[in-house]
Amino acid sequence: MKTAVYFCSCGDNITERIEFERLKSDLCRDSEIAYVKPAGFLCAAEGKQFLKNELLAERPDRVVIAACSPREYEKAFMQVLAEAGMNPYFLQMVNIREQVAWVTPDPDQAREKACALIRAAARRVALHQPLEKKQLEARTEVIIIGAGPAGLKSALALAQAGRKVVLVEKTPVLGGMPVRYEELFPNMECGPCMLEPVMGEILHGEHAHNIEILTLAEVIDVAGYLGNFTLKIRQKARYVDTVRCIGCSECIAPCPVSVPNEFHNGLGERKAISLAFAGALPNVPFLDSAACLRWKGKDCELCRKACPVEGAVQFGDQEKVLERNAGAIILATGSTLYDCRKLPQLGYGSLSDVYTSLEFERLLASNGPTAGSVLTKAGQAPESLAIVHCVGSLDKRHKPYCSGICCEYAFKFNHLVGSKLPGTKVYHLYKELVAPGKEEFSLYRHAADSADSQFIRYADIDDLQIRSNGDGKMIHYRDADGREDSFHAAMVVLCPAVEPATGSAELGQMMDVATDRFGFFEELHGALDSAQSKVKGVYLAGACQAPMNIQKSISQGMAAAGYILSELREGTRLQVDPVAASVNEAACSGCHVCRFVCPYKAISYTADGRTASVNALLCHGCGTCVAACPSGAINGNHFTNDQILAEMEAILQ
Amino acid sequence: MPEKPKLSVYWASSCGGCEIAVVNLHEKLLEVDRNFDFVFCPCLLDTKVADVEAMADGSIAVTFFNGAIRTAENEEMARLLRRKSRLLIAFGACSVAGSIPALSNLHSRESHLRTNFLDSPALDNPDGVVPQTRTLVPEGALELPAFFDTVKTLAQVVDVDYFVPGCPPEPHQIWNIVAAVIEGKPLPAQGGRLGAGPSSVCVECSRKKEDKTVGRFYRTWELIPDASRCLLEQGLLCMGMATSQGCGALCPAVNMPCTGCYGPPEGVRDQGAKMISALGSVLDIGPYKGMTEAELVAKTDAVLDSLPDLAGGFYRYSMAGSALRRSR
Repeated sequence: MKTAVYFCSCGDNITERIEFERLKSDLCRDSEIAYVKPAGFLCAAEGKQFLKNELLAERPDRVVIAACSPREYEKAFMQVLAEAGMNPYFLQMVNIREQVAWVTPDPDQAREKACALIRAAARRVALHQPLEKKQLEARTEVIIIGAGPAGLKSALALAQAGRKVVLVEKTPVLGGMPVRYEELFPNMECGPCMLEPVMGEILHGEHAHNIEILTLAEVIDVAGYLGNFTLKIRQKARYVDTVRCIGCSECIAPCPVSVPNEFHNGLGERKAISLAFAGALPNVPFLDSAACLRWKGKDCELCRKACPVEGAVQFGDQEKVLERNAGAIILATGSTLYDCRKLPQLGYGSLSDVYTSLEFERLLASNGPTAGSVLTKAGQAPESLAIVHCVGSLDKRHKPYCSGICCEYAFKFNHLVGSKLPGTKVYHLYKELVAPGKEEFSLYRHAADSADSQFIRYADIDDLQIRSNGDGKMIHYRDADGREDSFHAAMVVLCPAVEPATGSAELGQMMDVATDRFGFFEELHGALDSAQSKVKGVYLAGACQAPMNIQKSISQGMAAAGYILSELREGTRLQVDPVAASVNEAACSGCHVCRFVCPYKAISYTADGRTASVNALLCHGCGTCVAACPSGAINGNHFTNDQILAEMEAILQ
Repeated sequence: MPEKPKLSVYWASSCGGCEIAVVNLHEKLLEVDRNFDFVFCPCLLDTKVADVEAMADGSIAVTFFNGAIRTAENEEMARLLRRKSRLLIAFGACSVAGSIPALSNLHSRESHLRTNFLDSPALDNPDGVVPQTRTLVPEGALELPAFFDTVKTLAQVVDVDYFVPGCPPEPHQIWNIVAAVIEGKPLPAQGGRLGAGPSSVCVECSRKKEDKTVGRFYRTWELIPDASRCLLEQGLLCMGMATSQGCGALCPAVNMPCTGCYGPPEGVRDQGAKMISALGSVLDIGPYKGMTEAELVAKTDAVLDSLPDLAGGFYRYSMAGSALRRSR
C-alpha cells in the first residue's frame, strides 16, 4: 500500500514551529509512508491543482494531509481526490496547525507531536474503506399538526402550491378555537363564518385533493429530518364513514344517551353520536364509544337505523396507526387557558356563574349551549357582569407574561353584552390594559366610553375576593390606590393567561423541539425566525409558539408555508452520508441495547425482534450505538474500531 | 494401517474442568480414540514430560492446551508443546484470556505470597517461610517453578493456532472441532476461534428482550427473576450480551445470569469494557433534568454501587487478555 503524506506549511503558520525537513526524515523511517512532500498553501487554487497533479502522477493508494483543521478544508481535499480518480474517503487529515503549531511552543516537542499524529493517520488511513455518497430526492409533502387557523391557512397555501399535505387534528372538528366564538375582535366578525371559506376550500376546493385530513388523530412517533420524516399517527375510530356520510344528522336525535359536551366546555350536552356543535366541519357526526350503549353491552343501534345511507355508521370501525412520510412538519397545536382553580379566591369551580372566557364565548355563541342567550344559572338575565382581566398573567407566581389577547376579547364581551342585554353594568377589573394595533382601539373606546362600564385597576390578584351573595356574587377588592370596596355582580368572567395546549411537552419531546420556560415551542429566533423551530424541517405556527391573536396566527401559518416552499423545493436532493452505522446481521443477537440509545430513531428491529438494522437515511453517524453494541455487531463506517485503535496504537507507540 | 495422528491435552494453571469437559464427550471418546493416538494428558494418561520431550518436533497433530500461564513450569510446557505440535489450540477461558487465575493480576506476586503464607489467620508459620524457587535441604537442592508476577494467556507466551473459548468449552463444541479435524473440513483462518458462534449469548437465549434500561442491579439472592424476561432488564448483571455465542445460553435457561465465560464476541477486543460501554448506554438514573452535577454523580454512583464486584463481574474470564491485563 502506497501512502502519501502532503505537508502544508500554511504560509509560515506551521513551518515557523515545525521544521519540515527534520519531520520528513523522522517520518520516512516509517515503512508505511511512501513519501512526504511539502506544499505552500494546499487550500489555495494552485495548491489544490498541485495536489491533483501529484495524485495523478504518483497514484498513491492512500493520502494523509497534514495541515489545518479538517473542518475547514477536508471536504475540498476529498473533492480533489475524487477529481484525481480516487475514492474521496481514502484521505485522512491531521490538524498540525491548531493542534500543534499554534499550541506547542517548543519546536522539538511540536515536531514529535506532529510526527506521532501523522504516523497515526497513516496507520488509520491504510484501513479506510472506499465509501460512496448516495443522493436521494427530498420528500416535499408536509404534515401539519393542528387544524386551527394557523394550520388551516398553511395547509391551504401549501396545497395551492401543489404540495401534498396531511392535516392531523386531535378533535373531530376543524377550525380550532375561533369557530367556537360568535364574534371576533377587533372587527366583530363571525368566527365560523370567517373560517368557513378556508375550511370549504380545504374540504371541497380545487386543491382539496392535495390535502389529507385526519381528524381524531394524534402523532405518536416521529423520526427523520428535513426532507425525510416518517410519522406514526394514531387515529381513533369515528364510527361514521366520512366519505359515505351525507351530513344529514338524522342519526343524532334518536340516540338515547346524553353526556356533557366538551365543545361547549361542558356547559351543554351532546348525544353519544353527535356533531361537536351546529355547523361543525367536517359535517360528519362522531360516535363517542365511551358514552355509547353498545360499548356497555346493550344492543342499541338506533343511530344506524336512522341513517339513510347504507354503511355510513360503522360500529366495527377500529383505531388505526397510520404511517406518513413528509419533508417538513408544521406544529400548529395552539393554546389553552391557565387553570383558574389555581386562584381559589376568584371562586372558579366553587361558585356558580363564574366562567372562564372560553365558557363565556360559548354562552354568547348562537351554536352554543344556550343558543346565544346569556342567562344566570337561575335563568335570569344578569343585570351586572364583572370581567376580571390578567387572571394569572403578569404575575410571577403564575405566568409572568401578558397574553396580549385578553383585553381585546374582554372589550368584545362588553360590546356583545351591551347589544344583547342593553343596560347591563359591566365592570372591568384589570392590572394593565393593552390594545395595540390599528383597529383594536375601537372596542376599547367603546367600552371606555360606555356609561354602563366601569374600570377598576387592581395591583395584585390577591386583592380580589369573590364570594357568593344571595343570587349573585359580591366582589371585594382593594384597588391600585389602596382603596377597599365591593360591588355586586350577577355573573363573573375570568380572563386567564394563555398557555400551551395540553400535550405540547410530549409532542415537543417526540420531535426534539425545545420548549421554552413557559412550555411554548421555542422559536429559532424571536424576531427573525419565530415560525421556525430549532429542529431543521419543523416549523411553528400560531399560539403553540407564543400567545397570539388570529391575525398573527394566520400570518405565522403563511410564514411556515413560505419557509417550506423556499427551503424544500421540488427536486431538492438529500445527501446520504456513507459515514453511518451498519449492522452485521450474523453478529447481532437482538439484545435491544441499541435502539434506545439512538438519538435519531434510526434503529429498528425485524418483525421477530431478533435483528437490528440502521436506517442510513436517518443515521447521522454519531457512533453511539457502535459504542453501546455489546456484541460488536454494529460498525461505524469510517470510524471502525480497527481504524481508531490503529490510530491510537500508533500514537502511543 | 497408517499411524493415527497424535493428540494431546495439557493443563497449565487450571482447575481440571476442561479435562472433565473432554471426558464429557462420553461415548464419543471412543471415536476420538479410533481416530487419534491420545499421547499426552497428565489428568488421564501416565505419559511423562520426558516422553513428550523425546518426540520429534511437530509430531503431535493437535494439542488442546488449557490453563493460564501462572508459573515458569506453565510457560516451559507451553513452549515444549508448541514445539511438538502442528496445531496448538488455546482451550478454555484460562488459556484464551486468563480467566479466574488472571484475576490475581489485580495484586502483585508479593502480596499473594504474603496473604497465602504469612497473613492468613488460618496459618501457623512462625518462621515466616515462603516458597522459594530453590531451597537447600540436607538431602540436596529442592526446586519449585517460579511464580510469576503476572498471569498471561497462552498467546502472550507462544504462537497459538486457534482459540476455543468457554469455562469449560461445551462438549458439543469440542466434538464439532474434533469431528471437523477427523473429517478434514477446512478450518477458519489461523488465529481464529473454534467452537463459538458469530454472535452473543443473547442470540441463543429464549428470554424476551425489550428496549433496555437498568435502574439498579440485584444480586442473584435478592430476587427470583421472571423466567420469561431478559435477566439484565430485571437488574441482574447478565453478561450474555457481551459474551460470545457458543454455550447454548445454558445459565439464563435456568434463571442464572451469564457470567461471561465464553469471552468477548467475535470482533470485540475487551469484554469488560464492552459491557461497561453497553451498560453506560442503558443505565437509568431516573429523572435528571435540572439536577446539579453533584446530584447527578450521586445518583449514578447509587446505581453503580449496586454492582458488588466490578473486576469479578466484568473481567472474570478475560483479565489477562483484556486491555487492562493487570493493575499497576
